[in-house]
Parts: sequence; C-alpha cells; structure tokens
Amino acid sequence: MTNFALQVNGITKRYGSGTTEVAAISDISLTVAQGEIVLIMGPSGSGKTTLLLMVGALLKPTEGSIWLDGLDLTSLNERALPDIRLRQLGFIFQDFKLLSALTVLDNVAIVAELAGMTTKAARRKAADLLTELGLGERLTFLPEKLSGGEKQRVAVARALINEPRIILADEPTANLDSKIGLQIMRLLRHIAKEQGRSLIIVSHDQRIKDIADRVLWLEDGRFKDMVTMVTDPVCGMALERDKATSAVWDGQAFYFCSEGCRHEFLDNPARFQTHQDVISSPSAIHQEHSLD
Amino acid sequence: MLRFAFRNLFHKKAYFLASVGGMALALMLILSLDAIVNGIQAKITTYIDHSGADIFVSQPGVRNMHMASSTLPLTVLDQVRGVVGVESVTPIRYLGNIIAAGDDRYPAYVIGLPKDAQAGGPWQITQGVAIPKDGEIIIDRGIADAIGIGLGDSVRILSKEFRIAGLSEGTDTFINSVVFISFDDFAQLRGNTEAISFVLVKVKAGESPTAVADLIRTNVGDVNVQLRAEFATQERRVVGDMSTDIVTIMNLIGFLIGLAVMALTIYIATFARRREYGLLKALGVRSSFLYRVVLTQTLISVVIGLVLALLFTLLMSAIVSLLDVKLTLQVSPASLLKVSTVSLLIAGLAAVLPVKQIAQLEPAAVFRGA
Ligand SMILES: Nc1ncnc2c1ncn2[C@@H]1O[C@H](COP(=O)(O)OP(=O)(O)OP(=O)(O)O)[C@@H](O)[C@H]1O
Ligand SMILES: [Mg+2]
Repeated sequence: MTNFALQVNGITKRYGSGTTEVAAISDISLTVAQGEIVLIMGPSGSGKTTLLLMVGALLKPTEGSIWLDGLDLTSLNERALPDIRLRQLGFIFQDFKLLSALTVLDNVAIVAELAGMTTKAARRKAADLLTELGLGERLTFLPEKLSGGEKQRVAVARALINEPRIILADEPTANLDSKIGLQIMRLLRHIAKEQGRSLIIVSHDQRIKDIADRVLWLEDGRFKDMVTMVTDPVCGMALERDKATSAVWDGQAFYFCSEGCRHEFLDNPARFQTHQDVISSPSAIHQEHSLD
Repeated sequence: MLRFAFRNLFHKKAYFLASVGGMALALMLILSLDAIVNGIQAKITTYIDHSGADIFVSQPGVRNMHMASSTLPLTVLDQVRGVVGVESVTPIRYLGNIIAAGDDRYPAYVIGLPKDAQAGGPWQITQGVAIPKDGEIIIDRGIADAIGIGLGDSVRILSKEFRIAGLSEGTDTFINSVVFISFDDFAQLRGNTEAISFVLVKVKAGESPTAVADLIRTNVGDVNVQLRAEFATQERRVVGDMSTDIVTIMNLIGFLIGLAVMALTIYIATFARRREYGLLKALGVRSSFLYRVVLTQTLISVVIGLVLALLFTLLMSAIVSLLDVKLTLQVSPASLLKVSTVSLLIAGLAAVLPVKQIAQLEPAAVFRGA
C-alpha cells in the first residue's frame, strides 16, 4: 500500500522545561494508509492523548514532522491549523460534545457551513448524512433528547460532513453500553472502508480490537513491539503481519503465510471473504514481550 | 452564525430574560428621565412659544425671562416700529413674582399687557376676557381650580389686590404660571415706571424674521434682539442648567446598571458555554467567528432591551397624560439617539470580557477531561 493518509516521522513531545521536563511522546513514527483503521491502546499517562492532539493539529511536537496529505503540519503557521482541522480531520469524542442549543441537523450543518458551504447546501447534506446514519427522524431534536448511541451517531455525522481524510476518535465507546458501542464501531469501520477514510482510535475498549486493522500499544511515550498477529485467510495460519506477504482486495489488506496462499486467494478472493481477524491482543503481546 | 447566536441566546431562557429585562429597566431609567426633562422644558417655554411674536427685543445682556429682569426705555418702541418689515410691536412689562390668595402662594410670570396688545397675551381663554382692564387679572384655570377660586374672586400681587376677569388655559409652565394684568397696573406696582421689559415684534407676512431681526439690530441701538426660537432656547437652557447635573448622574447610573447587567449576563452565558466554544475551536472554527457570535448575542439582547424600554416609556407617558397631573413625558429623537448610542456602547463593552475569555480558550483542552 503506497497511498499514505498520514505519516508521522520521529515525533517527540516534551512538556515543561528544565528539571520539570517530561517527555510524553518519545521519537514515534507511524504511517497510516488510506482507509486503514488503527487502534492505539496503552496505560494511563502513556501519551495517547498527546499523540492524538499532535496528529489532530492541536499541539505542535517538540521534534519530528507530521505529514497529512502531502502537508507538513509542523511547518505550517499556527493560523493555518484551524482550516486543516475543519476540512481534513474529523473528531469524535468520548462524551459526544454536541452543541446543546442546536438541533441534531444544525449540529452537523454548522461545521459544513463554516467550511464554506451555503446554509441550504450544508443543511441538505447534513440531513442526507444523518438519514443515512438512521437519524432521519431525529433531525429537529435537541441533543438532550437523544440516547447516547444516537448522540454518538450525530457526532459521527459531524466528523464526516466535511469529508476528511482522517478521523480521530478518543475513547468513542467509553460512554456507551457495549452493544451500542460495538454498533458505533462497526459503523465507523464500514464508513472507513467504504469511503477510504483512515481512522485512528484511542481506546481502552478491548472489543474495538476486532474492527481495527492494526493495534498499537503505547507505553511511556513509545510504541512497544508492534508484532501484530493475523490469520492467513487461506490456510488459517497465525502469522506476524509485518513478515507476511500481503494483497489488497476490495480496499482491505490480506496477509498470507506464503506466495502459494496469496495466489490461491487472488484467484478467487470471494471464496475467502471472511473478515481477517487480528488474533493477538496487544496486551497479550505486551505481556509476552515483558516476559522476555 | 445568526442561527447559532439566536439559538444560544434563546436556549437558556432565564439568562435571556434577565439580561433583556435588566437592560430594558436601565435604559428606561435614562429614557423616562429624559422624557420628564423634555416635558418640563417644553412647558417652560409655553409663554414664548404661544406669544405670537416672531422677534423678542430686550435689554442688552438679557436673553431669557426666567429669573431675569429686562428694562427698556419706551422710546425703543417707536424705533422698532419704524424698521422695515415690522408688522406690529407690543411692549410688555414683565416680572417674576408670586400670586397669593389667602394662604396659597404660587410663583408666576406677571405680564403687564397693553390694551391693544398684538402679541404676548393669553392664547386660550376658558372663561372671561383676554385683555385685563385696570384692577383685573387673568390667571391660569388650573391654578384657580387648585386654589378653589374663580371669576370675580381676587388675588394679590405685591400686596395689591386684583379681581379675576379671565381664566386662561395652557399657561402653567410647570415651575410657575403666567398671569396677565393691565399695562398701567404693572407700572404702579413697580413705582410708576415708564420703562418696559420686552418688545414683542411681529413681522409682515412674507418677510424673513431673521432679516428683520438683523435690521432691528442695526437700526436700534443698545438692545438685544432674538428670534422666538432663540429666545426659547435660552429659556430652556436656564432650566436645563439647573437639571443637567441630576440628568447626567441619573444617565450615568442607568448606563452603569445596563452595563453591569449586560456584561454579567453575557459573561455568565459565555462561561456556561465555554466548553462548546472550546470544542468549536478544536473542530477548526476561528475565534473571530465566536467573537461575532457573542457580539451578536449582546446586540440582540441590547436591541430587544431598547425596544422594550422605549415601549414602556411611551406607555408610561400615555398613562401620565391620562392622569390629571402637571407632568408630561416627551420622548425626543435626540434622547432616543442618545440611548441607542449608550446601548451600542454597552453591547460593545459587555462583549469585551467574553471575547477575552474565548480568546484564551485552549482548543486542545477538549481532549483533556470530559
Ligand atoms: N499540558 C501538560 N503539561 C505537562 N504534562 C502533561 C501535559 N499533558 C500531559 N502531560 C503528561 O504527559 C504524559 C502523557 O499524557 P497523556 O494525557 O497523553 O496520556 P494518556 O495516555 O492520554 O492518558 P489517559 O489514558 O489517562 O488519558 C502524562 O505523564 C501527563 O502527565
Ligand atoms: Mg488521554
């Protein structure tokens, strides 16, 4: 896969200075392909939010560069960042963060309007999007009248309306019960794959691993061994993703133990159209790793 | 932007009502006080306004009637009469004094009126005559009612008795009333003086009062010549000067109350929404948009407050005019302009702190703590 939506090159973030200096993120690199779903997990204080803020053009790294769609965020003027956030990035939060005085429709439309659309066009687009997300009956409701799952779907619509290349989600399921949380994640996965938008999720929620293409484990500001285990869709063998050969089919990457399995798959991919599960949890990897 | 500002404003109805209500009260304080002063000032000049004279000639240095005394030699009369463009001249004798009936005492402009007066007499008579003969007086109908006297009863001026021969309407100037006695009686009151106080000039139809006034100025020496409007302005100024300090202080209080109410409610409203504004900043909304939202909210509140204040003041003046009191309230365009300016000033100032607050909002904070 060559089409990178995001490329993070050796970024470091230090808070404070002198003796009180803390490195929240230390020399991290990361590339995210278009349509890829990356889940970042890690203990509290490991730097997840800091990383998300930097990728979200809300915080400048102390060192390193962040490339978004051919633009180096770290070299841009501070004044150029709001526009990047508005047009190229979508944000989803743990507590939904809808505007309490605006209706469901206006909550979504206002973001499109601010990006330059006419009020009418913005409202039509928002209505279409919300209807697609199953909120067609709720357009005139105030957020306080919605359930948690509905609120998060409004937030998803808001994150999507300006058609950003990357969606950043911070604990998107933490305030939802598990069934609804999973629905939201499936929805996000569907959108990411369908529309080729990359998704970076920070979460403690183990179940999200199922929908992620890649799970990263952040600890003390660094990614720990990112041995991601995948299953060969042809022979069912568990393998380290980075050492496997791969093929992209229908917007999704598949990994194989050998060229043989890869060819067999490409001859008739539909036969193996199973979701390629990530079988090893990063925490498990982490545990294995720390046993070393 | 407007939709967002409106929704934000009306979402929390209690804030909205508090700010608009407080604003309306504060502005009403300014408006109604102005209206009262305007009402008084309009009444103060009622004699001048209704005198029928186009030009007032007085002793040099005397520019008005209230608390002033003007003395001109009788010879001035013929000099003025001779000026081109003059239709008629009426000399009046004038004195600010007291009319007394029993124990009741009322301040009055006492006017000594010639028998053939062409100007300067009562303009609306409800009972009796319009020109007093010797020993007669015409007094204000309202004052007569208040004292409980009428035609044929007598009142005293400087301990001389006068018999009421006429009752006039509209001659109450709020701070005093206007009474009329004969030209000769006035001279006697003042020790048989030949002097007159003012010459009231009417100009011929088609003549410009300004031009005639200029001619009088050049042809008649040693007099002060003013058009009716100038004379009235000077008269108002005297009363204006007396009330200016009070009006200024009350205006300032109204302004401060309005500002405090507005600044506080907008600040609280912005504070209550600071997370939402921070979120919008994080989503890529520029601060300038949020400033405009807050400024629009203040403007909307202030304008609604202003309209309410105006409606209440007009309502109040309508009610006051129905009551049988001397007071009249007049909302003048100048006062409205002043209050509108004050409102805009309040809106601008009230938005300063919220704007600062928004400027300081850290967009990255949306990811920190819920
Ligand atoms: N503004 C700041 N100033 C100083 N130190 C900070 C600041 N923000 C974060 N840190 C520190 O940086 C480190 C990483 O913080 P961060 O919030 O990124 O962790 P996290 O992985 O998001 O944690 P959690 O799971 O609890 O949200 C922590 O040690 C934290 O105390
Ligand atoms: Mg965090």
